[in-house]
Amino acid sequence: MTAAAEAGVRIFGVRHLSPGGARHLLDFLDEHKPTAVLIEGPSDATDEIRHLTEGATRPPVAILAFTDQVPVRTVLWPFAIYSPEYQAMKWARKHKAEAAFIDLPSSVTLGLQGAMNRSRAAGPEAVPSVDQAGEPEATEVQDEDSVYSRIAQLAGEYDYDMYWERNYEHNDSSGAYQAAIHAFSAHMRELGEEKELREQPSEYAYNALREAYMRRQIQQTVAAGHKPDKIAVICGAYHASALAAALPPMSDEELAALPSRSTKLTLMPYSYYKLSTMSGYGAGNAAPHYFEMMWDAMAAGKPEELPHRYLSAVAGHVRSGGTYRSTAEVIEAVRLAESLAALHGGSRPALRDLRDAAQTLLGHGDLGAIAEPLARVDVGTAIGYLPEGVSQTPIQDDLNRLLKQYKLEKYKSAVASDLQLDLRENRRVSSEQAAFLDLNRSVLFHRLSLLGISFARNRPSGQDSATWAEHWVIQWSPEVEIQVVESTLLGETVEVAAAYVLREKLQECRSIAEASMLIRIACQCAMTAQMEEGTRVLQNLAALSRDVAGMAAAARELSTILSFGDIRKVDTAPLLPLLEELFNRGCLFLLDASGCNDEAAGAMLTAMNELNGISLEHGDKLNDGQWLQELHKLAERDDRNPRLSGYACAILLERGSVSAGELAAEVSRRLSPGIPADLGAGWFEGLSMRGHYGLLSRMSLWEQLNDYINALDDDQFKRALVFLRRAFSTFSPREKTMISELLGELWGVNSEQAAEVLTGELKEEEAKMLDELNDFDFGDF
Amino acid sequence: MSTGQEQLQDYMRLPAEVLYREELEALIKEDTGKIPAGWQMSPRSVLTFIAGGKAGKKVITPKYIGNTRLIEMAVATLVTDRALLLIGEPGTAKSWLSENLAAAIYGNSGLVVQGTAGTSEEQVRYSWNYAMLLANGPTPEALVRSPIMRAMEDGGIARFEEISRCASEVQDALISILSEKTISVPELGKETSARKGFSIIATANTRDRGVNEMSAALKRRFNIIVLPAPSDIETELSIVKKRVAEIAASYELQAAVPADDALLKVVTIFRELRSGMTLDKKEKVKTPAGVISTAEAISLLTNSMALAASFGSGELTDNDLAAGLQGAIVKDDDKDKLVWKEYLDNVMKKKGTEWRSLYQACKEMNE
Repeated sequence: MTAAAEAGVRIFGVRHLSPGGARHLLDFLDEHKPTAVLIEGPSDATDEIRHLTEGATRPPVAILAFTDQVPVRTVLWPFAIYSPEYQAMKWARKHKAEAAFIDLPSSVTLGLQGAMNRSRAAGPEAVPSVDQAGEPEATEVQDEDSVYSRIAQLAGEYDYDMYWERNYEHNDSSGAYQAAIHAFSAHMRELGEEKELREQPSEYAYNALREAYMRRQIQQTVAAGHKPDKIAVICGAYHASALAAALPPMSDEELAALPSRSTKLTLMPYSYYKLSTMSGYGAGNAAPHYFEMMWDAMAAGKPEELPHRYLSAVAGHVRSGGTYRSTAEVIEAVRLAESLAALHGGSRPALRDLRDAAQTLLGHGDLGAIAEPLARVDVGTAIGYLPEGVSQTPIQDDLNRLLKQYKLEKYKSAVASDLQLDLRENRRVSSEQAAFLDLNRSVLFHRLSLLGISFARNRPSGQDSATWAEHWVIQWSPEVEIQVVESTLLGETVEVAAAYVLREKLQECRSIAEASMLIRIACQCAMTAQMEEGTRVLQNLAALSRDVAGMAAAARELSTILSFGDIRKVDTAPLLPLLEELFNRGCLFLLDASGCNDEAAGAMLTAMNELNGISLEHGDKLNDGQWLQELHKLAERDDRNPRLSGYACAILLERGSVSAGELAAEVSRRLSPGIPADLGAGWFEGLSMRGHYGLLSRMSLWEQLNDYINALDDDQFKRALVFLRRAFSTFSPREKTMISELLGELWGVNSEQAAEVLTGELKEEEAKMLDELNDFDFGDF
Repeated sequence: MSTGQEQLQDYMRLPAEVLYREELEALIKEDTGKIPAGWQMSPRSVLTFIAGGKAGKKVITPKYIGNTRLIEMAVATLVTDRALLLIGEPGTAKSWLSENLAAAIYGNSGLVVQGTAGTSEEQVRYSWNYAMLLANGPTPEALVRSPIMRAMEDGGIARFEEISRCASEVQDALISILSEKTISVPELGKETSARKGFSIIATANTRDRGVNEMSAALKRRFNIIVLPAPSDIETELSIVKKRVAEIAASYELQAAVPADDALLKVVTIFRELRSGMTLDKKEKVKTPAGVISTAEAISLLTNSMALAASFGSGELTDNDLAAGLQGAIVKDDDKDKLVWKEYLDNVMKKKGTEWRSLYQACKEMNE
């Protein structure tokens, strides 16, 4: 016999997140007035109880334990206002009793989890969610699904939640509740224990370890001088029988032998939405807000008023959605819910009864009409709140301070909201901080996204390289808080952590495109030091590179930053020499890189376009003359990719540095009969990719093209057709009409007659010819 | 007794309270629950009567197969003396459920107002026997009471079929009846107040929406329950199977009850055409303009049985089924014919050898 069991400490088994359990627990505590309240929870978090129960703390909140080394593993213990554990802590504070957590410390929990994962290797089952559910546990629910649904079926209910609510939450007698839940979970344990031992030995062992540790903690509390019958133990009902039984507690050696990882603890706000999505989490998981209403009604001593409050709340939401519903309908809905409960022999309507009544009366039979109001009332959008100075990681503190400073606190909500930022100086306000408020916000958001914190999402706005407008969608969730806490390993403040991440990325950066992207991020995050570092990295990479496409893309990034960077109050001048270098190298290697196949030519076309754009934008600072010179070279060469040569010619034509005569000469040279079709037509394809109207307005060009096509023999014509088709596919229908008119003029065809031929149905032999073209062998392309 | 039986068999269709008299009697005998005023059995027993179960040793056959929760809500509504409105697509057993509810609760499903565009306010409230009215002036004897008024006097359940087909002024007559629970007869200077147990079960078609849209005031006085089409193929199969057997027995059709295989084919075709895609959700199917409800499937099968019995071998052949399908799906509309043709060629043709002969028969029929 252990001391704990012998002395008869008072054990109260609960289901986590159960308002009924919390209510009866308070009665139980009031009756026995314990001097020590021991709660199932990580024993190293006992110090946090003080903060959790502080007046300004507003649940739902959670204790978050995380390993302080990578890979970061976290584990959560959430509490709602109606958690029996939370109410027990409040009671202890109010009655000056000692409150303590007695479950395995978080370091061991995470250590064991790691060990279990390793031993399980590729097992299909999920990591046990560090049993918060007592009974039924997350993994258990799936395995034992049949048992639970069978219980519900036997009781004539539709699901286990409904059975539980009707039989336990609605149980008004404290003694009966306690006896019932103890008997129920003892039997369930008996039923499932052997199976667990057989099929999930690690799970079984884990529970045994926890219970041994809890017995040890109870024994220590007795040794510390509390009278055993003045000790109350609040644990999941599943563990109640094991804690009361005569089993040995964990010894010092055993404790020391357990795997352990160094962990830190923090508190974080939690959300009802998150609570509702945790499956297998015991009562209250699907409808946290509903259970809060139940708790409020119980606390007010009027549990029978819950249906009125619930249905009025739904009606309120329906009305604010613009659909009128009368009070009479709410009254009838309450009556229907009560009569549904009576059909099941229940004393009060369960959630399902209320929902069905709402659908019938408030939705007029249509669930869709009230789905959103129901979600609002069942799940709710509440998130918890922790007062300033409460145990938090430095980066949580920093973020909260920044949110306050930039007036973003109201966006800390579980409902997504939009925020439009105007980065320009607001000249109508006096202080500098107010003038650049939006800019500062933008910097913060960019830093958070760099850290992988999903608090604000940037929505690309209509303007492509938008300069002063940004559109963010902001939504807080517990995951955000966890991401913030995880970033604590990277730095003490958001700025330091972001700088660290950027530096890491720059060190690993191996491509020009990546480096230029990081420079842009550094600019958006207003981190000048990292921008300079990025410049160095990019310079080193560019010095070795001959990749024109990559350099052009990087140059484009830099050019954008240079043109619009000053809106962000970042000094962009140091970037100019780098841009010059990239541009010069791009020009230098253009000719070499143009000797490529058609596949690579696609990327080169983009690069030429970018370089031309940059050269136009920064003509005063860059060597535009050199660029044109290189283009001339490319345009004249016959041994480069003909499309690129044609494109170079098109750019030159657009820039006005090729005269009509020169073009005519070039065209006739390229499109002369001796030249193979892929060269001639390919060149024309490149030429026709820019400035369609410029081409359309040159009649001589079309004459030359006409002569060229006429000169081709059948076989050559088929080859040329491939390129010409592709070339003309980029023309709009209107432009195509103009071409056919031009050609019609050329051939002396009446334009009306031409249109008739073009729009008319295909003749049989024409169709046959087209069919023959389908057999064309693309093998040599 | 034997003569009584024979007489019953002469009727085309018996009301639920007669058809299931034995079950009702057994339920009343075994009832242990609390019986609301005006009811003949407890709500739980009503539920058993509709959803099936046992009363003592007597097996109660299920009358409505599918969502038991909907029946619970309907029964709970009537317990709170609210009027009940059942709405749904045509052929979702609205009238069937309303008849059985009235039979179980009140023992009489015959107080019916059959709503049409020609239904007048008198049929909802009361009218006069004009010969007596002219002879004696307004007297209680000359008063012709509507089914609703009779249900009020008796504390029973009146049924109002196809309420949305009635003109809105007729519907309006119900508003005050439902809220005041009285009908005043000013000519006699008296009022008829409803006794406890009075309620109305109305049915309405969702397809009729917009014909005579129900007013918000009237809707507010009903608890509205939407009856869905059967949620899965098993449910629908068991409904069709049960009803076809029952109808075949009552009409003494001299044909064998269709094989499970034929039932499955018909239900599959109906479900695919109704949902607009094949059961495996891989292919889209066009839906015909007409209604393709479970009730249509049932009548299609009984029709085919009648065809087989009268003009065929008594065995249901694919040709009989094809004729039935053609009639049910293609309703004097060229578009339907096209839809059916596309279904035949794109879906049914590919369904394998068991479907081959039905496909051929349908194909010929649709030529």
